[in-house]
Amino acid sequence: MSQIVLKGVSYSYSLGEGRSLKALKNLSFSIEKGEFVTLLGMNGSGKSTLAKLLNGLFIPSEGEILIDGLSTASEKNTFEIRKKVGMVFQNPDNQMVATIIEDDIAFGPENLGLKREEIVKRVDEALKSVGMEEFRERTTQKLSGGQKQRIAIAGVLAMRPDVIIFDESTSMLDPKGRDEIMDIARKLNSEGITIINITHSMEEAALSDRVIVLRKGRIAIDGNPKEVFSSELVDACGLVLPLVTASSKNLIKSGYDFGCAVTSEDEFVEGICKTLSK
Amino acid sequence: MQNIIEVKNLTCIYSRKTPYEKKALDGINLGIEEGSFVALVGATGSGKSTFIQHLNGLIKVQDKKTMSVSVGGKSLSDKKNLRNIRFEVGMVFQYPEYQLFEDTVAKDIAFGPKNMKLPAEEIDKRVRKAMEVVGLDYDTFAERSPFDLSGGEKRRAAIAGVIAMQPKVLILDEPVAGLDPAGREEILLLIKKLQEEVSPTVILVSHNMDDVARLADRVIALKDGKVVADGSPKEIFADRELIKESGLEVPTATRIADRLRERGIDLSENIILMSELEKALAEKLEDRNV
Amino acid sequence: MFRDVSFGQYYPTNSVVHRLDARVKLLLSLLFIIGIFFIQSYFGFILTAAVLIFIVIMARLPMASVMKSVRGILFIVLFTAILNLFLIKEGRVLVHWKIFTITENGVHTTIKMTLRLVLLISGASLLSLTTTPVALADGVESLMKPLTLIKVPVRDIAMIMSIALKFIPTLFSETSKIISAQKARGASFDTGNIFARAKALLPVLIPLFVNSFRRADELAFAMDARCYNASEKRTKMKKAKIGIGDIIAMLFMCSFFVVIILERYYFPTIGINMDQLIFGGLV
Repeated sequence: MSQIVLKGVSYSYSLGEGRSLKALKNLSFSIEKGEFVTLLGMNGSGKSTLAKLLNGLFIPSEGEILIDGLSTASEKNTFEIRKKVGMVFQNPDNQMVATIIEDDIAFGPENLGLKREEIVKRVDEALKSVGMEEFRERTTQKLSGGQKQRIAIAGVLAMRPDVIIFDESTSMLDPKGRDEIMDIARKLNSEGITIINITHSMEEAALSDRVIVLRKGRIAIDGNPKEVFSSELVDACGLVLPLVTASSKNLIKSGYDFGCAVTSEDEFVEGICKTLSK
Repeated sequence: MQNIIEVKNLTCIYSRKTPYEKKALDGINLGIEEGSFVALVGATGSGKSTFIQHLNGLIKVQDKKTMSVSVGGKSLSDKKNLRNIRFEVGMVFQYPEYQLFEDTVAKDIAFGPKNMKLPAEEIDKRVRKAMEVVGLDYDTFAERSPFDLSGGEKRRAAIAGVIAMQPKVLILDEPVAGLDPAGREEILLLIKKLQEEVSPTVILVSHNMDDVARLADRVIALKDGKVVADGSPKEIFADRELIKESGLEVPTATRIADRLRERGIDLSENIILMSELEKALAEKLEDRNV
Repeated sequence: MFRDVSFGQYYPTNSVVHRLDARVKLLLSLLFIIGIFFIQSYFGFILTAAVLIFIVIMARLPMASVMKSVRGILFIVLFTAILNLFLIKEGRVLVHWKIFTITENGVHTTIKMTLRLVLLISGASLLSLTTTPVALADGVESLMKPLTLIKVPVRDIAMIMSIALKFIPTLFSETSKIISAQKARGASFDTGNIFARAKALLPVLIPLFVNSFRRADELAFAMDARCYNASEKRTKMKKAKIGIGDIIAMLFMCSFFVVIILERYYFPTIGINMDQLIFGGLV
């Protein structure tokens, strides 16, 4: 069985006065253990709603979500699911509860009621995993945006999750901070953790195994980056292709041959060199 | 062209005489020509935000004797100029939608012009013009609450609130941060339009070198509060050593051209735009086929 | 305008004072504050100031960090001082001009009142300067534990307290950002009468509230996502333990308290007046 299964999931926000807004409409798909999935889509396409459904922060209005076979709708599963599916949010300042870094990382394990020695061990491991060991006893205020997000990741890791959802976690960071976070996401993925990255960055999407594009609450495209970047629906979904992909399309008209849709600078460079050396 | 902004000897030290003392700006001298599009770049903490806040007097010059900032020939150290200069130098802060406060979009945009004590008809005219320029239809949006707009619309409403003052200089601090790709494109195109129609001089703070290469005609790079590079995008990005030292990156096109050159493909060192790269590569292929 | 306000923000130096048990620090701060209310003599104030300075030194804090908290309430201090100075009519008249009278008693009361306020605030800020919000909240939780018997949600109260403390600096920096942005649109906060000024604050307060609600919302999601309220038995990474340092601190503060009480109630009965002894005829 797949790690994450969605069956006919819809979600509506109540707008009061009996009106409601349907944010997600009849979604069905599954995600396997160890996948690196990117969720793309314009603001308002339902990405963040989907993220909050996956760890039981929201419950589907219709349909069902199963995490390792456990339904998110059942209250007795809630904490088991949240333990499995960790979440890193957008604004680094709004997800830290403590002033001292180790206290913040300990928050999750403390909530789980773990023994003290176990908490200390997990905090150690989590800090090491994001490369922030020497910051353990410092305060969170003087950190850069990238460092704060690394602490947020550590806070999630301390719960030993199987899945981590990044909900636009890089959007408030400078390029250096973005790279740091994406490097960590890929490292964690290589250690077997399933990653779901919600982002606006096509460059980040290019790094993943699978890209799901949402449009008006439905899945518009689902495939590997190459399939998605060469889809005719890109414009309609409000996506803007990475510069190299867009450029490769123009160059094909001039007679260059890249063999397949270009998703990285490496492929772009190889295609040019190959064509010119023919 | 004449300089609309003159900065002399500007140094700014935070938390002076405490263990946290930090030199945010260190001896900055520069002039900005009227009608130019300047990109201000530099890593986080390089002093960009302190610098731009000096340009409209939000941060005061620390030593009037040795330093000065002037706009249109008027010194900011002179208190009676300060208010007028606020209106001449419009500042769009990061995430400007977090400063919206009125109950309708039109009222929020009118806040600046009202503070300028303009007559009511003029305020109304400016609000309409500002909304038109940023692409918010007056009839649809004027009476709506700014808090009910989408993210991109909020950002445009907030920008309209600044350009309704019709400032001569427009400063934008990372105006596309946090937007989706379509929203990014809209705002970037909007900025060019604003320069043509409202504010002839634009200063853009950005981390994205592709945007900088595309939009700016001058790049000023800050590092540790000092100007480490100042020139046209082509000049700046051609100096790879300098770019590295300043903690910056080159545009995608420049990086790819470098990689192709390493592979033995003869390309100019001046490529900063993908369109330039495409043109050069198309010519290469044609030459070979001839 | 808000840049320098950082009332009692945790100041990490890892000194012996920082390492004391938060519960002990809470109780001793309380004792210190009660002590201050018993002081009547200049001797008492000098002694208290000396104790305070001693603690600041032991805590390896810069004096400025303590003074900063006092600066935050300077207005209140000056206001009470002026009221006292002019409203107290008893005692020998020192100055008399039109309706203003300053008496000797007035001067003494004013000086003592000011000292009391300054020492009070400094003492309270010492607690928050040397104790992290989490430790403080844990301390409160632990001390309030008996109240859970009558169904007081002690754990939630402690959590709210620790989060409130953590977000104070964020709130200040956000306020100063919004002020800058509105100033850039020509808002002025220092002209006009009191009503105009209050009205001028709306463009700051409204976004501040809206943003705070958004923040609170996001934080609530983040806390839920990390299993807040998952278990009845929430554990703690840091177990507070009463150590030798805590016992020394307790003995130290208790002796301080005893001296203050003795000086006020017992010394006069055996004919000792500390102020007379130290200052002679001055007071």
